[in-house]
Amino acid sequence: MIDPRGVLREFGLQLPETVEVRVWDSTAELRYLVLPERPAGSEKLSEEELAALVTRDSMVGVGNAIPPGQEARS
Amino acid sequence: MNGVHDMGGMHGMGPIQPEKNEPVFHAPWEGRLFALRRAAGAWRKWNIDTTRHEVELVPPAEYLRLSYFARQFVAFLETLVKSGLVTSTEIETGTPAAGRPKLNPPLTAEKAAELVAKGVPASRDVKVAARFQTGQRVRARNMHPVGHTRLPRYVRGKTGVVHRDHGVFVFPDTNAHFLGEKPQHVYSVRFAARELWGQQAAPLDSVYVDMWDDYLDAA
Repeated sequence: MIDPRGVLREFGLQLPETVEVRVWDSTAELRYLVLPERPAGSEKLSEEELAALVTRDSMVGVGNAIPPGQEARS
Repeated sequence: MNGVHDMGGMHGMGPIQPEKNEPVFHAPWEGRLFALRRAAGAWRKWNIDTTRHEVELVPPAEYLRLSYFARQFVAFLETLVKSGLVTSTEIETGTPAAGRPKLNPPLTAEKAAELVAKGVPASRDVKVAARFQTGQRVRARNMHPVGHTRLPRYVRGKTGVVHRDHGVFVFPDTNAHFLGEKPQHVYSVRFAARELWGQQAAPLDSVYVDMWDDYLDAA
């Protein structure tokens, strides 16, 4: 809350100063769905290939999707 | 209540320790407790806000020591006793008191999967006037209720902008204490990180908090 960039670093995600961070505090009976940013070079991938790039951390907003071609390293 | 659960902005809790391939439950008893709480909740002797407040009432030192599910367990036993469904002697002995009638559980195994998948909505389809509009500047009330509230301490007295109106929902502050649902609008309110945390915060960053009508004044 007070240091979202620090928390993201603890998850292994380093964000540049130019990226805006919006923290959503889920205080009501509303839950939010995170859409991971589409990685560069994934434009021609099929739905199945795209799904393989999505991680748990990218779906809870503390990580990026895996860049295409690096799936095995995750 | 200004309890230890309201941790937004606190320091010194140590770094996050991300767990690889985290399981849904770390031990079978956690799953059993999850099921028990839903099965017992189907009696409708309490509501989600009651159970949350009961967790907040776990003594602070114990609260910090216990895991998520261990806290839920302590609070669940309290809830069972307060509701009259079970006596503390029955919990200690593990057997029903003599002469207690056997009740038919309202939640059956067949209905359980659907209940867990669908949840229990807190939105209400009633016409209630919204006190604020999208884009309006609002101030979070500086209030410190001793009962349950979903108004985090870190936004009290702070100014933000209504980002969107989510519609009408049950008001936890009254519902937790069986004082009625008091349905009212809930808004997503955007607070600039610097409004909340001062100049140490990044200039672009912000925090969006779900706020009930009764938490807000025009600013």
